[in-house]
Amino acid sequence: MTNVLNSILANQPINKSVNQNANSAFVFTSEGKIKPMRDKGRLLPSRVFGSPIEYAKDLKKDIVSIGKAAKGKANDHELGRINDLAMKMGSLALASYLFVKNPLKLSKAMEFVGFGTFFASMSLWPKLAIQAPLKARTGVDIHQKYIDSQGRKKMLFQDPQYVLTDLYSREDLDKIGDKLGVNKNIPDRDNFIKQRAQKTALQGNTLWMMTAGFASPLMSALLCNRLEKPIGKAIEKFEMVSSERAMQNGNYRSLSDRFKEFVSLRRFDNYLVKNADKVMDDKAVSELASKLGGKANSALVQTAIKDELAALKTDVKIDELFIRNALKGKIDDSVFASLSEQQKSLLNKAINNKSFANIAEILSRAAGGSKKEQIKLSRELSQILGKAKMSAETPTLSQISNQIKALHANMLDFASGKRILDRYINARVGDQAGTYIANQWGRVGDKLIKALKFNGQELKAVSKGDIDIIIDKLTVLASNDAEYDKVIKQLMKLIGNYENTTDTNFVLNVQNKAKSVCTVASNDLKTNGFVKLAEKISSATKNGTVENVININTAERISGAQSSFYRLLQSLDVFRKANNGSLERQLASLLGEKGVTADQETLKRLVKACQDLVLNATTTDYVEKLKTAGFNLSEIEYKTVMKALFDSEADTTIAESLSRTIGADKVDDVMKGFNSYRKEFMNKVANWQNGMTTELSRRTVDGVTNAANAVERNNLAGKPIRTLIEDVAKQTYNSQKWLKIFGGAMVALTAVTLLAGLAIGRKGKTEKQVEKESKVNG
Amino acid sequence: MVNIVGVQIRNTRGSNSLSFGKQEETKRSECENKDILMYDEKRKHPITTNLKIQADKFVKAFTEYPQKGLKGSKNSNFYEFLTMGMVPYLTGSAMMIAVFNLASKFFDTPAAVNASKLGKKMGLGVLFYGIGKTLSKKMIEAPVNLKYGIDVNLPYKKAIHELPDGDNTDNLLTHEYHKAYESVDFPRWDLFYNNKSFGPDRNSYYEKVGKRMGINDEDLDHADQKVKPLIKEKVIKTKLFSTLSSYFWAATGVGVAMQKPWENFVVNPAKRIANYQNYKKIAEAAKQEGKNIAKYDNFAKDFGKRFINSCKEFVNNKNKSVKIAGRSLLGLAVGMTLLGNLSTLLDFNKSRGSDSQASSSLIDESKEKVVC
Repeated sequence: MTNVLNSILANQPINKSVNQNANSAFVFTSEGKIKPMRDKGRLLPSRVFGSPIEYAKDLKKDIVSIGKAAKGKANDHELGRINDLAMKMGSLALASYLFVKNPLKLSKAMEFVGFGTFFASMSLWPKLAIQAPLKARTGVDIHQKYIDSQGRKKMLFQDPQYVLTDLYSREDLDKIGDKLGVNKNIPDRDNFIKQRAQKTALQGNTLWMMTAGFASPLMSALLCNRLEKPIGKAIEKFEMVSSERAMQNGNYRSLSDRFKEFVSLRRFDNYLVKNADKVMDDKAVSELASKLGGKANSALVQTAIKDELAALKTDVKIDELFIRNALKGKIDDSVFASLSEQQKSLLNKAINNKSFANIAEILSRAAGGSKKEQIKLSRELSQILGKAKMSAETPTLSQISNQIKALHANMLDFASGKRILDRYINARVGDQAGTYIANQWGRVGDKLIKALKFNGQELKAVSKGDIDIIIDKLTVLASNDAEYDKVIKQLMKLIGNYENTTDTNFVLNVQNKAKSVCTVASNDLKTNGFVKLAEKISSATKNGTVENVININTAERISGAQSSFYRLLQSLDVFRKANNGSLERQLASLLGEKGVTADQETLKRLVKACQDLVLNATTTDYVEKLKTAGFNLSEIEYKTVMKALFDSEADTTIAESLSRTIGADKVDDVMKGFNSYRKEFMNKVANWQNGMTTELSRRTVDGVTNAANAVERNNLAGKPIRTLIEDVAKQTYNSQKWLKIFGGAMVALTAVTLLAGLAIGRKGKTEKQVEKESKVNG
Repeated sequence: MVNIVGVQIRNTRGSNSLSFGKQEETKRSECENKDILMYDEKRKHPITTNLKIQADKFVKAFTEYPQKGLKGSKNSNFYEFLTMGMVPYLTGSAMMIAVFNLASKFFDTPAAVNASKLGKKMGLGVLFYGIGKTLSKKMIEAPVNLKYGIDVNLPYKKAIHELPDGDNTDNLLTHEYHKAYESVDFPRWDLFYNNKSFGPDRNSYYEKVGKRMGINDEDLDHADQKVKPLIKEKVIKTKLFSTLSSYFWAATGVGVAMQKPWENFVVNPAKRIANYQNYKKIAEAAKQEGKNIAKYDNFAKDFGKRFINSCKEFVNNKNKSVKIAGRSLLGLAVGMTLLGNLSTLLDFNKSRGSDSQASSSLIDESKEKVVC
């Protein structure tokens, strides 16, 4: 007791006149006596989620506790709470590190989602799986909290040997007693109920300890798995909107951009100061070039920067003193003194003309020796002078620091503008996960996989490359008009959204911004004398400039995705036509036009070729006219297949099919784009007008040489539908497998916990005995 | 009889004690009935003592305590609840590893390879989290113990006299492993009094600690009264900083585990054996051709190399932002440890003379006080 009392008294404030302190269990009377303070403990209402204000208040208290503990004054309760806070701080620090480390925005966001769901799971699992069912059945809230007289929040049933059940009101106890089925006539009913509540809480808390380790990671992982898609969509929308806003704001720079620029400028200034005496040789030029312009410093720009830096020279005065200094050790002063008047005059003339060869010749003659020796010395002197001039011309960093600073400032401005443009383009058609184009393609895949109705085994087979299942499923889909129309409708909606996002406005926005950013940078650089670099960023001819590259890359990304969408549309149409026999008829008719009457077997072979082609073919297959793809088609057969698929005049049935699903009013627009794609494909990829063995790129179409490069041809070919289905199937199969294992584990764990919960709070032997005796006693 | 304050002693075996049920024929030693500080045991066998305690806790946390808790035993107590905290910690770690590794064997090759890379990192992350958390605490606790002789983890064996529960009316004496300083509100000061492990006097322990704290001999008349508040202060600071730093070190551990060198680390023993056999064949062939090939790294060496490379990548990542982030996280951990060392080892408040906390307490010695 002495210890307890001393411990409490030691924590009292020095001011003895204070009668009462909220944090003390004792108060001082006016006579200097001490007495216990009035009990102020009370139960706290139970909530699944606490209020943010309460969290903020608790956090403030915890921070104060850390301050107290740092002075060696905290108590057990405070240290316990500090542990919980420290765990969250550590986890937050880790999430922040992983946020920075992960390159993709979705992965970055998921680090914090993981952090949040883990702590949420730790808190929610016992509440949902144990506390709530037990409270509903027995009335006992095993996680009932109370606040003690010192304002400390604690769990009422945490320590089974020290439970403040006195905090329960009579009404609360009666409610619990009734739910627990305690006999109303039992003597000392209140105590009996308290004991039962205590036992129930102990059992519930033990069950919590036994299950939490399995539940928290499972629940957290499952929540993350479910949240990934909606968060990805939210990030995509945010990026689209905010990048557009940044474009509209002109020279808008975010706070982080400004900070980065500030740091970059300071760091660069430091670099200039530290390396002031550095001679700008090739190595130093390369090093400096890499430091200029941040992310706008592409390989294309960096070469131009290097050239500009290498061209920065200091003026060197070539006079007799320069010559004497340069040739020290080779030509003595006596040689200069021995020069005749005529020789001196010749030397001065050579110096004025900066002709090192003449200077060397005059001096080597004056030095004397055999003719051979004189020639040798002359050559040597000429080389020494050349090197000395070059060395004298090469500036130190400090000598060109003003130009460098101006260049750096221009490049930072350029980088800033380009960053806004890059973000705008990247959010829509960027070649990485999480962008609009990637997500839209993913959504198309999801819809398709859903429509094809693969079961688990089929998904596994498809993910391992079984093409027969894909063909079977596509055939089944094509045979069901309702299902087919539904898929086409969904796909057309997605394609429509994509086209709206990457329409002419988008392209124009990119072109205008690229023009303004590059022109401004180019003009600034020209003003500062960096003409070559300026021409690389923007020039009248446009070719090979940064501005040109931006526009070309954007156009290629748009066309690549568009072709993939059209290819998908075409693939489904080929299967539809193969199924209803129209493809076979079309092929027979096209062959008939060439005077060939095909038998059924040939037609079936050609139908199969069409199906395989839309499913699998890449540009290489067209170069070799499908020989590499395993088809042995004659020239007429090949051309017929190409015509059936890509000649808009030869195939009009797709328009009829589309008008049924998306409405006649919208068909024209779609067909315009689709036919344009087919025309481009015929001209640049299909290779249908040439002989069977010629390299595609060397051939001419309608008298025009095929200028399409490999990238353009690949973009036109689009992504094979087989690759799309296989990729999505793999993802779906893996995701389903993972979900089956861990979702199943979660369901099993929940079931076991709920069942185990049913055994909690039941009457034990002793309780039954007591109730029995009370009944007997009347 | 050792003066044990605050502990109610009920000898269930002695002739003068109150006993429940049958009396045992053999008397247990007096030692079994009282709380014993494990100072000598820990000093002589620090590793085995710790292992013994952890093993006892581990076994009971998974067997005896859950059984008692689920039955709702009246003998279940807070210690058992806390000890059971080991269960979610360990099962949670195992589950975390499983979530990222178990399903990958069903995936196709590229997905399985990618999943395995992440799985290895996550598995090691769990391991390094635990190691970082445990070792970092020692970096603050050990210097305090070395300088002042205050071992915040000093265990004692607590004798628990249980109530008869159900059919069990005989075997009522059990033991728990606590720490003398596990509570800063109520440290087990009593266990240090008259403890021959520290010296012949009643206050030997407190005198020893007091001297190490720089208190003059003449001020150590009532060493316990003088030193206890100071020990408490050190214990609180030690606990604070070991807690704060431990989670940053744990986070740093996970950060190190997330680096690239671990991606192709082979954990599966069967695969390692197969790899070694392949290596032997290649080495043999190379030997015959008179060529030398690099030595095969065994598990420990391979692990060590990857660990060092991961640490390097963590603090020296090619990406500037990641490098700064890694160094910041490490800086937080190191900074917190150093701050803890400074705070616990340096005496910013040098008034260790007669003006101690005990004498400057609120109680006015000249006035009479009554507890109402």
